[in-house]
Amino acid sequence: MNNTILTCKNLVAGYRIRSGFVHAVDDVSFELSKGELLGIAGESGCGKSTLAFAIMRLLKDNAVIEKGSIIFKDRDLASLPEEEVKKIRWVDISMVFQSAMNALNPVLSIGDQLLDAINAHRDVSQKEAFDRAIEVLKLVDIPEDRFNSYPHQLSGGMKQRVMIAMALILQPDLIIMDEPTTALDVVVQRTIIEKIQELRKMFGFSVIFITHDLSLLVEISDLLAIMYAGRIVEYGPAEALFNSPLHPYTKGLMNSFPSLTGPITRMGGIEGKPPDLLKPPEGCRFQPRCPKAMKICEKEYPQLKELQPKHLAACFLYTGADKSD
Amino acid sequence: MTKILVLEGVTKHFPVNSFRKHGQFVHAMDDVSFALNNGEVLAIVGESGSGKTTTANVIARIYKQTSGKVIFEGKELSRFMPRVEELEYHKKVQMIFQDPFGALNPTRTVGRIMERPFVIHKIGRGRREVDEKIDEILVQVGLEPPIQFTEKFPHELSGGQRQRVNIARAFAVEPDLILADEPTSMLDVSNRMSIMNMMLFLKESHGVSFVYITHDLAGARYMSDRIIVMYAGMIMEIGPADRVINSSYHPYTKLLKSAAPSPESGLKRIPLTTGGDIPSLINPPSGCRFHPRCPFVREDCSKEIPTIKKVGDHHYARCIL
Repeated sequence: MNNTILTCKNLVAGYRIRSGFVHAVDDVSFELSKGELLGIAGESGCGKSTLAFAIMRLLKDNAVIEKGSIIFKDRDLASLPEEEVKKIRWVDISMVFQSAMNALNPVLSIGDQLLDAINAHRDVSQKEAFDRAIEVLKLVDIPEDRFNSYPHQLSGGMKQRVMIAMALILQPDLIIMDEPTTALDVVVQRTIIEKIQELRKMFGFSVIFITHDLSLLVEISDLLAIMYAGRIVEYGPAEALFNSPLHPYTKGLMNSFPSLTGPITRMGGIEGKPPDLLKPPEGCRFQPRCPKAMKICEKEYPQLKELQPKHLAACFLYTGADKSD
Repeated sequence: MTKILVLEGVTKHFPVNSFRKHGQFVHAMDDVSFALNNGEVLAIVGESGSGKTTTANVIARIYKQTSGKVIFEGKELSRFMPRVEELEYHKKVQMIFQDPFGALNPTRTVGRIMERPFVIHKIGRGRREVDEKIDEILVQVGLEPPIQFTEKFPHELSGGQRQRVNIARAFAVEPDLILADEPTSMLDVSNRMSIMNMMLFLKESHGVSFVYITHDLAGARYMSDRIIVMYAGMIMEIGPADRVINSSYHPYTKLLKSAAPSPESGLKRIPLTTGGDIPSLINPPSGCRFHPRCPFVREDCSKEIPTIKKVGDHHYARCIL
């Protein structure tokens, strides 16, 4: 049996603005198997959130999916009519948003909001809905008596846990988490991450985890995709990416996190800033900042190639030998 | 080694402005004592609400301490200083703020923003000298060529560039001490290292001392000579950076360490044994403020506040264990 639950193929999505089309997600392909955690890392503006919203079909009005397909359980989310998407959204794919502070309705108690999610999708009695809501709250360690609390009465970590409960409530197969811990303290972040891992073991759902904190991603994800300026530049098992990063951008990112216990070495980071996605540079998009840029990088865009088993990178450093003369 | 800054038992309580809680106080800083050597980088780490920013604000005299002494360059700062002295102090002690977006006046060009410290502190004679100095410091923070930036408004700059302007402004008046309050926490990952390296470089070339406030343990270790760990307004551990991280003594430091993301320790991680939040600072827990969350808690912990004791070379901790 095929274990793949989500296949993204050559996805192109972006925003139409007055001065042109912003290629926020450009030719992105990946596969996600059941129960896996895919980490997507990159700087702000690299298109990682747009990708998440495209999969959820929650893009804003001025945004479009131009090309490509998002196959989820044999159906193409990219071209499905809105009515059909509504049946899948939250039931099969749910999302934990970046700012729990703003994602919850401030004038409804968290219990009412959880009940809302159930009643919108399932035809169940009030009692059943209530029991399910209490059950998911317990799963994320929020005591029953908080059911009638309003969001402002909860701490940041608790609100984020309510968001996770909300995402779990219909037992989806895939949860997209868009920077779920960025606004939180390290200790709270750790408890949330441990909760996610525990729930994943219990229910076996897949996760797409989006963040810019690479050191966290390396630790928790099975697969890791590094995005830069709308494209995936490196993709592979998290451990392989950490131990032997191939793309110069990945190397630069890895170099941006000082080690906690290892020896202290002077680190570089990456100079410059990401390109304007209205007019992305010809050729490799990282080339203007790349310490190892070659002539060919200015003209052609390198394709993702499997350089080591299951470890792909888009860089001429490894494939350019036959073309560079 | 001469000490540039000494805090002795500094306490800061904020009155609570609510009818029900009238007469109560938020204990933001309690009995904070430390000394900063000349040319040293001292990092203060802790969760939000641990009092690290209050500490910086008390040193910067944005707040006046409730009790305790702040001694700067051998002279105790009195509660009320004549304006001239106050100005002199602010020239010597500059601050870099966390939010590069909020710290710059959006209606002024970078040139005007950079001019202010020179005008306020009456440094440099005449336009040309001031302009030269501004150009010089902008180049030092990597905003080259300066002419491209002086005419720009803050909204035309990226986050990293804005933080560079902030840093340039702090260094412009040749201070002796810089208080940096989470200067990299709002920046993009790829910018973080270059800003940190630049601050270290400027620190060397200008010979300033640094109080570096952060919640990022790895960053604190990278930047600093010594680390202070604060929790609920009190110092829990203080010592050389490497010792505090690699042979931490206080359970809270260990908790912070195990919570920090770090790929190397990935699988070897000791699972967190403590949950819970930072306690209410209006009614702080009796005894050790960490005891409700501490995995090694004993009966005595809730009775009285442990004293700071020596646990190694220049390494002190507030724990009865």
